[in-house]
Amino acid sequence: MLTMMNYFPDEVLEHVFDFVTSHRDRNAVSLVCKLWYNVERFRRQQVFIGNCYAISPERLIARFPGVKALTLKGKPHFADFNLVPHDWGGYVQPWIEALARSRIGLEELRLKRMVVSDESLDVLSRSFTNFKSLVLVSCEGFTTDGLAAIAANCRFLRELDLQENEIEEKKNHWLCCFPDSCTSLVSLNFACLKEINLAALERLVARNPNLKGLKLNRAVPLEALQRILMRAPQLVDLGTGSFVLDRDPDDFETYRKLRATILKCRSIRNLSGFLEAAPRCLPAIYPICLNLSYAAGINGSELIKLIRLCGKLQRLWILDCIGDEGLEVVASTCKDLQELRVFPCHPVGAGHAAVTETGLVAISSGCPKLNSLLYYCQQMTNAALIAVAKNCPNFIRFTLCLDPINPDPVTMQPLDEGFGAIVRSSKRLQRLSLSGLFTERVFLYIGMYAEQLEMLSIAFAGESDKGMLYVLNGCKKLRKLEIRDSSFGDMALLRDVGKYETMRSLWMSSCDVTLGGCKTVAKKMPRLNVEIINENDRMKFAHEDNQKVEKMYLYRTLVGPREDAPEFVWTLEKLLFTPGGLLEDQ
Amino acid sequence: MELQLGLALPCSNPTSKAFDLNYYGFEANKKEVDHVIGPCYTPSYEDINDIINIDNNNKRSFGQAFENSTRDRVVPRTLPLLLWNNNQPNEEDDPKDLENHSLFAANKNVGDGDGVVGWPPIKSWRKRLCHENQVDRAWNNNQMVENGYVCGGRRASNSMYVKVKMEGVVIARKVDLSQHHSFETLTDTLMDMFRKWSEACEKNSNNYKLIYQDREGDWLFAQDVPWRTFIRSVQRLKLLKSSD
Repeated sequence: MLTMMNYFPDEVLEHVFDFVTSHRDRNAVSLVCKLWYNVERFRRQQVFIGNCYAISPERLIARFPGVKALTLKGKPHFADFNLVPHDWGGYVQPWIEALARSRIGLEELRLKRMVVSDESLDVLSRSFTNFKSLVLVSCEGFTTDGLAAIAANCRFLRELDLQENEIEEKKNHWLCCFPDSCTSLVSLNFACLKEINLAALERLVARNPNLKGLKLNRAVPLEALQRILMRAPQLVDLGTGSFVLDRDPDDFETYRKLRATILKCRSIRNLSGFLEAAPRCLPAIYPICLNLSYAAGINGSELIKLIRLCGKLQRLWILDCIGDEGLEVVASTCKDLQELRVFPCHPVGAGHAAVTETGLVAISSGCPKLNSLLYYCQQMTNAALIAVAKNCPNFIRFTLCLDPINPDPVTMQPLDEGFGAIVRSSKRLQRLSLSGLFTERVFLYIGMYAEQLEMLSIAFAGESDKGMLYVLNGCKKLRKLEIRDSSFGDMALLRDVGKYETMRSLWMSSCDVTLGGCKTVAKKMPRLNVEIINENDRMKFAHEDNQKVEKMYLYRTLVGPREDAPEFVWTLEKLLFTPGGLLEDQ
Repeated sequence: MELQLGLALPCSNPTSKAFDLNYYGFEANKKEVDHVIGPCYTPSYEDINDIINIDNNNKRSFGQAFENSTRDRVVPRTLPLLLWNNNQPNEEDDPKDLENHSLFAANKNVGDGDGVVGWPPIKSWRKRLCHENQVDRAWNNNQMVENGYVCGGRRASNSMYVKVKMEGVVIARKVDLSQHHSFETLTDTLMDMFRKWSEACEKNSNNYKLIYQDREGDWLFAQDVPWRTFIRSVQRLKLLKSSD
């Protein structure tokens, strides 16, 4: 068979490989033999790099000179919750510079948790003539000046998607920088900005007839939304801005116009925004509800009325103000629901518990197709989790956020059995977040049953190192493990250091691992970067090895310790193998 | 010097097998001492030395010291009473959350649980949004009442009194902005309020301009901004005689 394949001209292989699109499949193809490796690499256009420090831009370009679409991820996930210091790293600048230098025909760039500067955006906008799509998720470090450069220079821009970024907004009207000749926009999302130039926005929408996705921000009031929708009835994804009437809350005329306009928008399938919504205006969107597949943001009693119309809803993101009763309405209406995220109304501090396990059980029994859940609540029972597991065996993502160390309030038991039921019944579970009170037993279950688990988040786990070992031994497909405030120590860390090369990364903060333990990992595994984030500057590197480490982040890499680490990040390889490194204080 | 601060957690069912420390061969070891102090507690340099010395001197660990009482009892992990929330550089949170000392408890009756860094795991922008929405919703009473759910939260109260001063009138008044949803109703109310004080002059709202002081201390014309912006940042009001 192999000899036969050698007689195929490369073009045939190329053609076949073009049908193989997923990253993993292409990675597998490239491992078959040298011939396939070489054919595949020249044809690969989409490259996914889950950790920007695992490889260098130069090596990326050397292997995939035809790359057109690049995804890069920077900071570890816990950076979302302020556990990673701001200047930890994750800079996109060297990537953009290298790609520009090598004259790569980059068309799409997707960045997550990276530091992006205005200069990077400027270079990006000038270096790639066919640049079409920029997606920035949870990034920071840039201002609207950078956006202005993108708007002004990317002549064929199709997509500009800004999700949850920290952007400094200058007085410029960056939207005005889109030239009149810009008519190629398909998707624009600026919901994370605070301001916008309304006039420029309306003109932009008017001259971009292919616009399918538009996510507005708070600065766009209802009156403007109505005018925009008039220009863009072809929209499929709509993120409303502020759904309130700006000037006069009793303006029926605008409401009537909005309602009429929305009736013409027959394509809207995804609806989000509603950062604030005037209840009396919501009926205007009822006509869309019938076909709605994704909704986020609407709150309160109006939501219930809306939900009753959304029989086709597949993804729903809401605040917990909806309450258990509201979730019951969802359960009885949205039979096709696949993804549900319930966020807390009052994030900080205990207080009003708006949703409980009752709501979750109701959802599970009404929506058996549910495969992705994010649920914040204050209490959960094993019985509820067991019921949910029975009703919904299709979970791919399951994130439960309870108060730490809260047991089942009815039985006062830990939640081991409940989580155990989830992992046992959802055989395709890929992502799991544990919270509440649990013991080693839950990790035993996870190790035994969660065969497809790729990402596990653990917080406030007590008990011994065995828990971590069950997971490391049992979960063969584990890629990311992040642990905070748990009592796992060196014994667990060091038992099987080879495992970490099969994973993308391991994060441990406020655990019991010591400096000595981390040094041991670094010595044994040269292809891991073991980083200690040490904000308490009184910890000296050369001090006792049995000091506990505040934050450790280790990840596999092909390019050794990074050069851009700030002072408070110690890369142990660098310090151990540099002459004098062991003795010098950081 | 042993630090034995611990916030005891609700006691679990004493017959619970799951917690029987001997069941899983759990070994109480000297790590217990550190458990008591807690993972989030960042001791001083001197404390680190003390802790290391404790280990070296083989003092009894927490588990050993209290073995008799804990054998049949469930011993959930204790948490520190005091959490030192080190001022992280570039902290994104609302400054109110940057308390240096915060009380963390699993007991949900604790009100201002500013608690542990990064918990609950919600992104900063969403926390900010929730906070803003709480403040907004306090001024949209109709929504709250309908739902039977008070979204006012512990930070925003339902009423919002600000001082109002009218030019030429000695005595200032206070007005509850939560009762208003537009400038028209607000100015009408204000004119009514001050009518008593100056019967002589013609109190027509056209003769006065409403200005307000925002959070940064600047005085701005109220009519120049949308109601939403105004209501979110207004600190006090003034009515100025208009020159035309």
